[in-house]
Amino acid sequence: MKKLFLITVVSLLLITPRARAQFAGTGTTTVSVTVAAEAAIRVDTSTTSLTTTGTIFNDYTGTTSFTYKVRTTASTGSGSITLKVTSDFSPSNGPSVGSPPTGGDKLAYTCTVSAPGTACSGPLTSSISSETNVAGFGANAHSTMAGNSGSTAWTLTNDPLYETGAYSATVRYTISAT
Amino acid sequence: MLLALKSPRGDTFGRAIVCRHRLGSSEGRKLKNQSARGIAYWGRWLAAILCAPVICISNTGSTTQNLSAQINPIGKLSVTAGIPLTTSATTFIGFSGTLPVSYRVRTTPGGGGAITMQATSDFAPAGGPSLSTGALPYTCGSASLGTSCSGAQTVSKTAQTPVLTVPGGVCTGGGGACSASDPNSVTVNFSLTNDPQFQTGAFAASLMFTIIAT
Repeated sequence: MKKLFLITVVSLLLITPRARAQFAGTGTTTVSVTVAAEAAIRVDTSTTSLTTTGTIFNDYTGTTSFTYKVRTTASTGSGSITLKVTSDFSPSNGPSVGSPPTGGDKLAYTCTVSAPGTACSGPLTSSISSETNVAGFGANAHSTMAGNSGSTAWTLTNDPLYETGAYSATVRYTISAT
Repeated sequence: MLLALKSPRGDTFGRAIVCRHRLGSSEGRKLKNQSARGIAYWGRWLAAILCAPVICISNTGSTTQNLSAQINPIGKLSVTAGIPLTTSATTFIGFSGTLPVSYRVRTTPGGGGAITMQATSDFAPAGGPSLSTGALPYTCGSASLGTSCSGAQTVSKTAQTPVLTVPGGVCTGGGGACSASDPNSVTVNFSLTNDPQFQTGAFAASLMFTIIAT
């Protein structure tokens, strides 16, 4: 039995192909890639100035443009673009998203997004505590290689209680895809 | 040398020696004579064995054998069976991957060699990247023997594209006139555009590398 076992082991060692690749006049390799759902966004308007026309407390308005790329899974995928005010207006005594001096004061926006995105049904009120919708994507959504365009049009209440001066807030855009 | 010796008693010699003290005088003499013949026979054998080396040495001669070999140019290569292209992020950063190519080559003075590549099948299934749109460019890393391709190349389904050129009069391995490394190697760095238009899923294409030597 021991001899038989030894003979079997030696035979296997002799007939087992070498692990290293063999040399030949030609060689073939398979290039493989797994393409996953992805999304990316670029805000093209780094600073959006909100301005008003007239001096009769018309709301401040402005537009932020962005470019997005998206790829969602064919049958079950989806995606979205959202925004959130990550830093409220400062300094104090001016407009505020989180603590407006007058109830009803708000930083609202409407959305414009090219296909395959579906723009939000605005106007929506921005928030410092939660993400709010800008655009949605269904299954098998594909932007162009260069990216597709979108924008949010802002409206900020012009409350007489605001002290005069310059105020700024930070808004973060987030895109996701599955 | 062949020596042929014949035993007078075969295998009874040993038995005769053992039995000689148990037998009577006439039988004893008979066996004694047989033993003497056996000793003489095996003595001749021993002498033949001991003298054989001397006899052989004394008969050793010398001769000259001419050996010739036709050494032809040749090239062999090896590539790994698969090369995955990966991306480092999920923001449409391009896919990339590096394929090592090992090769052994011998060229004649005045000859040369080359390694080329051609796609034998496009990415499949459909809906993903496609070689027909030039989606798979590559560059070549440094080679341990020869000169690797320069600049950006693009994998083609219809034409061989360069990977390496080998000058004449070179060979792999052994040092000296040949390369120190065995096998030689060159790397091919692939990059694949991460187009949002690609469907999600796994896609694969086949590439064939060919080496020639003259």
